[in-house]
Amino acid sequence: MDQNAALEIRHVGKSFDIGREQSLQAVSDVSFKAEKNSICVLLGPSGCGKSTILRMIAGLETPSAGDIVIGGRNFDGPGRDRGMVFQAYTSFDWLTVRCNVEFGMKINGVSRKHRRERAAHFIDLVGLGKFADAYPSQLSGGMRQRVAIARTLANDPEVLLMDEPFGALDAETRWLMQELMVEVADKTNTTMVIVTHDLEEAIFLADKIIFLSSHPGRLKEEIVPAFKQGQRIGEKEQAVKMAGYSELEAHLMRLMREEGRGLE
Amino acid sequence: MAQPSSSKSFFRLRKPVSRRQSLISGFAIWLVFFAVWIIASAAGLVNELLVPAPQQVFGTTYELFAERGFSSDVLISISRVLIAFAMATAVALPLGVLMGSFPAIEAISAPFISAWRYLPAPSFIPILLMWFGTGEAPKLALLFIGVIFFLVTLIMDHTKNVREELVETALTLGASRSVVVLKVILPAVLPDIVVALRQMLAMAWTYLVIAEIVASTTGIGAMMMRARRFLNTDEILAGIIIIGALGMMFDLLFAALHRWAFPYLRKA
Ligand SMILES: Nc1ncnc2c1ncn2[C@@H]1O[C@H](COP(=O)(O)OP(=O)(O)OP(=O)(O)O)[C@@H](O)[C@H]1O
Ligand SMILES: [Mg+2]
Repeated sequence: MDQNAALEIRHVGKSFDIGREQSLQAVSDVSFKAEKNSICVLLGPSGCGKSTILRMIAGLETPSAGDIVIGGRNFDGPGRDRGMVFQAYTSFDWLTVRCNVEFGMKINGVSRKHRRERAAHFIDLVGLGKFADAYPSQLSGGMRQRVAIARTLANDPEVLLMDEPFGALDAETRWLMQELMVEVADKTNTTMVIVTHDLEEAIFLADKIIFLSSHPGRLKEEIVPAFKQGQRIGEKEQAVKMAGYSELEAHLMRLMREEGRGLE
Repeated sequence: MAQPSSSKSFFRLRKPVSRRQSLISGFAIWLVFFAVWIIASAAGLVNELLVPAPQQVFGTTYELFAERGFSSDVLISISRVLIAFAMATAVALPLGVLMGSFPAIEAISAPFISAWRYLPAPSFIPILLMWFGTGEAPKLALLFIGVIFFLVTLIMDHTKNVREELVETALTLGASRSVVVLKVILPAVLPDIVVALRQMLAMAWTYLVIAEIVASTTGIGAMMMRARRFLNTDEILAGIIIIGALGMMFDLLFAALHRWAFPYLRKA
């Protein structure tokens, strides 16, 4: 047992029943760890099982093999210790931004006063202070995704899981959100596991990149971006200029291309 | 550039008309309808006994309310619809939401409930009369049977359409099953349920008229059957107009309820 790991995936596999006695091996023998308070990025070609792994961590799917340990504990099903942000919009349209952010705390019995304070804090953190009383339908796509992030963070999960959270956003909003996530990681004690297929996003965010190969999804390479020297970078343009950035990007591109060829 | 039709043309292909134009068009078509009716009556083109003039029908409508206590019939009809509809809703709403939320419940009740939809409700009238006699019960039962099975199925379908991500989000926030159903699925589906209720209320009016025409001495339908015996066509037509007006009124009330209860659906 690793004391520093917030999350351990051990030899996890997943096969889906796809009818007529057939099954599909989506993930096979994947192991990795996410250290406490780190950002771990799952990267790989489409269909390699990134979402499946994330959903197994969330407890929304059950692994067919291996086990997953959160803070030293096993779990059965979803729970508030593992918050998830989806690619699709998940705002509760009938609640204001404030009530959306308070939702998790409310159902977990956090006192009203405490709820208000925490919600206000996280709404400010994601820059939606002026919109606390607006309904989600009055917000843009990027703003709604920030509501989802604030709602999950305010619920104080040990691990924050995000499945291509910025996939539907335009480039500029996406940078801002990526920078926001780095800021959040620095300001809170959350461990993050983020799925993406955007190389730039992976390099910018990751303390560690887990690269998966497809059919079935296996661990291909575990990469710690050495050029960051253990420091997070606050701004995108700063990261791009750093020595070692483009080497890493080229390396990831090579990995992606190898996987692409595998499909042909 | 060649346009398919000039922008001034009346018949522009799939271009929305202005609010003014739609009001005028809607009003004009009714004006034409009544004009044809009035002219046909005045010119003696139709049998006065079978098709009384519109002014006579409206006069009779007024007379029915003012002098002949017709409002008690109307109130009875309204209360029948509302009571039966409230009972159907009280059963259909929880059942439909549970069936849409828990496939195990659907697996039990759906095969049973969907089969009943193929049985026309009026075919139960003879047996309902034998079971419940001639009081209010058989009428309420007919309306209930006519509405409930469709309502349950509609609510179940809408509930199933609540996006899976919403449910999964709630689960990862730590929600229990009952919290997911009551705090996420129910509020998410409620606007659609109100739309379904609005559609089914129109159906309830249909069954009300059938019940009152076939087996009642009170209510709007019964009044119309009485009028038939005395060849009072104007009263029959007045009844039709009242039923139409009531149906429209309740429809508008539901539309208003929808707007009032779900302000968040309005775009900013
Ligand atoms: N519920 C399911 N039933 C059957 N097969 C599934 C199910 N979920 C995922 N799969 C299969 O598992 C494999 C991995 O899917 P997954 O969604 O995890 O990939 P991904 O890496 O997230 O891809 P993408 O980048 O396109 O989102 C795919 O082949 C997919 O078809
Ligand atoms: Mg995916």
